[in-house]
Amino acid sequence: MPETTPPMTPAGPQARTPFRVHFSARDLVSVAIFAVIYFVVVFAIAMLGVVSPLVMLLTLPLSVLAGGIPYMLFLTRVRHAGMTTLFGVVLGLLNMMVGHPWQAALVMVAVSLAGELVLGAGRYRSGRAAIWACTVFSGWFIGPWVPFFTNRDEYLRSPAMEGMGEGYTRAFEQVVTGPAVLAMIAVALVCGFLGALLGTRLLRRHFRKAGLA
Amino acid sequence: MRPGRAGTGPTGGAAAGHHGAATAVRTVPRAPGAGPPGLDPRTKIVLVVVCSAAVMGSGGLRFVPAVLVLGTALAVWERSWGRAAGLPLAAAAMWLLGWVVPSWWPHPVTAAMAIACAYLIRFAAAIGVGMHLVATTSPTRLAAGLRAWRVPRPVSVTLAVMLRFFPVVAAESASVLDAMRLRGLVGARALIRHPVRSVERFTVPMIAASLRATEDLSASAILRGLGSPRTPTAMDPPRFGPPDLVLAAAVAVLAAGALWLPGPLA
Repeated sequence: MPETTPPMTPAGPQARTPFRVHFSARDLVSVAIFAVIYFVVVFAIAMLGVVSPLVMLLTLPLSVLAGGIPYMLFLTRVRHAGMTTLFGVVLGLLNMMVGHPWQAALVMVAVSLAGELVLGAGRYRSGRAAIWACTVFSGWFIGPWVPFFTNRDEYLRSPAMEGMGEGYTRAFEQVVTGPAVLAMIAVALVCGFLGALLGTRLLRRHFRKAGLA
Repeated sequence: MRPGRAGTGPTGGAAAGHHGAATAVRTVPRAPGAGPPGLDPRTKIVLVVVCSAAVMGSGGLRFVPAVLVLGTALAVWERSWGRAAGLPLAAAAMWLLGWVVPSWWPHPVTAAMAIACAYLIRFAAAIGVGMHLVATTSPTRLAAGLRAWRVPRPVSVTLAVMLRFFPVVAAESASVLDAMRLRGLVGARALIRHPVRSVERFTVPMIAASLRATEDLSASAILRGLGSPRTPTAMDPPRFGPPDLVLAAAVAVLAAGALWLPGPLA
């Protein structure tokens, strides 16, 4: 299957000024719908893992993967600048309402802006750019862990950790540093890339057939 | 939804319709008049941001009990008994797992659990306050509040529309999950054996159903002037009132208590 060259919908009549930031009512509604769908998909799949910590190891990457499906469908409706950034802003605010740290909202806006640049490089018409934008966007999954890494000492100095002794704390401290952060970012990006490919395949297999893409 | 109170905003009342989703929409208990006189939407937004900053910042565990008390009190105030009971219970469970158990059984597993709980209890505290905002603010009031703050129109309109669509999408995904459960496709075993296929089985029908259900809603919202360049006026403009003053006093007391009393978690 030629999964790397997905033809997006051909450029419509309004294809003249993809770099002008102007939102029609339909654009705003699209962003709102897909932000809610994205949120519910990611949340529902992450919640499936609550049954046991072992399942959680599976469901967290899986929710990154699943997020690619609504996001790729959303990107088929993005025809000009600003929409992905708006998506990141409103989704970041929504996540904050359900307890995500405020640092995560900033991360989400940052990766949305980066995705905007990637899409802009493809003039908002390129399917390949959409896949990379989706990959970049999935970097937001690192956001909820930011306070954990910035306040590392506070977590490691809990009474429970002190009960384990100095050596254990030091070993833990060595694990929860640079390499761990890089590994998490890498896992998020790889899962995001696979999610983008999955989304592209499902677009072709289901949504285009149903007239939704 | 009572159209009389809902104001003139484009995202106000439910879409009149014979659509399947309309039944799901009507059962959502988010009538603006229900419950006690509410807080100004702007107060609730500031409260959520302040609580998130306090809890998630460095030294945040000190503030967790205060924010939990606040979230529970807000749940009691809006008579959401499920949350009023669930929030303290969840926090107590995390306290047991993360503080009590590791203190009399030091073990690598309990130590890791303690770290996880120290992280999750902050989430729980922030969720309690955030859910109050989501559950008690109607899209119209949110839009009016954001407009009063001069928030850029794309952001304020999108947020209000999201609040409006949320129950629809949640209802659709619940019914997809029900259908999957009837066929025995939900569960840890199915998820582990075919993870990607499980995701596909849930996501594709859920997205398709949600898009179809929201199509009518968005058409009606656009018809009622959602995208118009004119600034709408609110029938029920946001005003700071006595409840906001009470809340400010409560927050001041709780913050003082968190700062000067010895914290049980820190």
